[in-house]
Amino acid sequence: MTSYNEQLPPASGAAGAAGIAARDTVAPRQRRRFSADLSALGEPALWGFGGALALGIIMIAVFLAVVLYNGATTFWPSKIDRVELTDGSVIAGTERRGTIFRPQLGSLDDATRAEVEANDGFAYRTLYQTANFDLYGDDFQWVADYEIENITQPEDFYYFERQTWGVFIGRIAGMTIDGQAMDYDPAVFRREQAAARDRFREIRRIERSEIGGINFQIERERLAQRRAVIRQGEDAAADDVAASQERIAELQAEFQELQTRVNEIRARDRAFTVTLEEVEGRQITPEISQIVRYFPANTIGFFDKLGIYISRWWEFVSAEPREANTQGGVMPAIFGTVAMTLLMVVFVAPFGVITALYLREYAKQGRVTSIVRISVNNLAGVPSIVYGVFGLGFFAYAMGGTIDQLFYPEALPNPTFGKGGILWASLTLALLTVPVVIVATEEALAAVPRSMREGSLACGASKWQTIRYVVLPKALPGIMTGMILAMARGAGEVAPLMLVGVVKLAPALPIDGFYPFIHLDRSFMHLGFHIFDVGFQSRNSEAGKPMVFVTTLLLLALIVVMNATAIIIRNRLKRKYATGQF
Amino acid sequence: MSDTLEFEPTAYHVKKSNAGPALDIADFNLWYGEKQALFDNNLEIQKGQVTALIGPSGCGKSTLLRCLNRMNDLVDGLRIEGTIRVDGFDIYGKGVDVIALRKRMGMVFQKPNPFAMSIYDNITYPLRVDGVTKKSILDDTVEHALQQAALWGEVKDRLNDSALGLSGGQQQRLCIARAVASDPEVLLMDEPCSALDPIATARIEELIEELKGTYSIVMVTHSMAQAARVSDNTAFMYLGRLIEYGDTDTIFTNPERARTNDYVTGRFG
Repeated sequence: MTSYNEQLPPASGAAGAAGIAARDTVAPRQRRRFSADLSALGEPALWGFGGALALGIIMIAVFLAVVLYNGATTFWPSKIDRVELTDGSVIAGTERRGTIFRPQLGSLDDATRAEVEANDGFAYRTLYQTANFDLYGDDFQWVADYEIENITQPEDFYYFERQTWGVFIGRIAGMTIDGQAMDYDPAVFRREQAAARDRFREIRRIERSEIGGINFQIERERLAQRRAVIRQGEDAAADDVAASQERIAELQAEFQELQTRVNEIRARDRAFTVTLEEVEGRQITPEISQIVRYFPANTIGFFDKLGIYISRWWEFVSAEPREANTQGGVMPAIFGTVAMTLLMVVFVAPFGVITALYLREYAKQGRVTSIVRISVNNLAGVPSIVYGVFGLGFFAYAMGGTIDQLFYPEALPNPTFGKGGILWASLTLALLTVPVVIVATEEALAAVPRSMREGSLACGASKWQTIRYVVLPKALPGIMTGMILAMARGAGEVAPLMLVGVVKLAPALPIDGFYPFIHLDRSFMHLGFHIFDVGFQSRNSEAGKPMVFVTTLLLLALIVVMNATAIIIRNRLKRKYATGQF
Repeated sequence: MSDTLEFEPTAYHVKKSNAGPALDIADFNLWYGEKQALFDNNLEIQKGQVTALIGPSGCGKSTLLRCLNRMNDLVDGLRIEGTIRVDGFDIYGKGVDVIALRKRMGMVFQKPNPFAMSIYDNITYPLRVDGVTKKSILDDTVEHALQQAALWGEVKDRLNDSALGLSGGQQQRLCIARAVASDPEVLLMDEPCSALDPIATARIEELIEELKGTYSIVMVTHSMAQAARVSDNTAFMYLGRLIEYGDTDTIFTNPERARTNDYVTGRFG
């Protein structure tokens, strides 16, 4: 290619003008084409950027779709198949999922083997939830296609969800109402099941809140006695102890009364039973109150299914777990997650904001502040389990142990604060998320225009007044953003919590109706840990699997709701402090 | 400009008033770290008059203005020599209460900078930070300050609306109202019209005209026309030095120094 310069006369004065004229005379084919290099245009980079974004979005979308699909379909009632197998046995169950597999060819008869070999040695098998764990010792059974003789969907098969032992699949052989044996009558059974559930809930209520409350008070009296003895000595505390003993006696009388009532209801409850028969004819006879929910899976209509679907969801979000967390609800876990996250915000907000305020507004900017800032940023990269170990060692054992010795000596050697609990868990998470808040707050403070500060100082405001009335309100939306990020991080964190207070099954919520109402020393349940627990720690991981999806869906929804609330608050603040126009 | 520039002593003209200086700046030097920004400034600001500081960019006029209420204290590595006296007190002296000083020196900035509060709260801010909570005092102050800033008629029905909803010119008048709310002696204005359109500028200039007499006004401006229109006295600064100071008519029509003449006639700057 010829360069222009060779064709141009030396550019100076009038010759320069001639040069411009000469440029116009260059033959078109000698010019570069009217397009730049591909690399100059940045077109390939654009495709790269777009592709990366698309990849990210697709991965997130697929993840959400899987969670949403599995989570949303878990509670939809499915039909019961009665499967006759080639070896003469019969099973009944709901179809869970299917997969291809490679059967052991030696164990097959000739015809089947030929069929499987024709299919490259693969066959298809289906997982049935046969339930009836108390009879079979297992909830699930794989059935290969070639083993199936016949499948029917008998109308008289019911799907029972029981308080204990999980699901039962079978038909109703008869029932005993108030001691009278009789044939199954749907209307009577429905009425009696509702009444039996009411009895069950009554027992549960008396045991949980009333007897639980009395136990709690007796325990407190006992501790008060020990405290009095420790503080004042055996002799001086004698009067207090006697008075306390009296109160305990009263409480125990109340306790007896309630216990009698419970026993009466229990005895009455035993007069109402139902005889259930599984597919091969074996029978069990539980109390009707054990039946949480039942429906004829093969005859039920769409709206009844919808009703069951909704009632299962409601149970899921409002009830306590049953059957090692694989059934029932996750209400304590929701409660624990929200309470812990809010408590974390209560700790992390003032701590992070004050730190950032000092670092940005008061500290002399220099080497030391830079080192502090870098260290804070690096803290965000420490593995979260390390925070868990620190929380256990420092908060629970060191601080909690000291608190126990100073304030709860009467309960020793049982720890009160000297073990994992919601207080230590939220403090640990506050420590974990404080870098996020500090960094966001610092940026928000730095973004407040200098003119604002000067305006305030020129009005005769002190530095603190300037920060309090002008800088902080202006920086609030930015600080809120940091808080939202911290909340999202904290609510989704599991590993450190396993060390500092999360349990598989918490006996009581951290907030309840007994003084002092907020029990910061209690351990709690958490949705994230719940997912881990039902998915990988349960005796029956197949049963827990759908719960993993449902709980994940719920946890995601919870985080979305908490974040959305925070974002709405932030936007309201932003509108309030919107910058003026010029 | 040549670095071996020899400066003659400042040329002073006869002042219009002899009511005594509101501010007396004497032998004032200022360094930003190693770099000296102000050299031996001597200047008396007359009571109740408008004094304009003019000069090319970077000549130190804003720096000087911001020293008058010690706004430059915020700058790291700042060092000063010399005195600035208000009623005989050196504002850089020992034990001076900077906050009290700033209450005597209202300041208006280049860009309108109302706080993200209601109009009412903006104007009462200097009083509230002072601990005044009595409603009647605050109400009176708001009305008085807004009337002084010629804004009362426009906003009296929406005192509780956000100040950020006002137009640029209104915002700047609000800032003036805020500056006079604490009843200062001196008003410092740092190019108060540079972010405004011509009509808003004309309103502010009218306002300055009305406020003079009540307050001694020191105004930094880039616009020589503005200095000529509104000021009584003009100080011309160049490279950190005060070149010429005197009444505005003389500076603009018959300056003593050639450099002043070059600047006011637009030959440089």
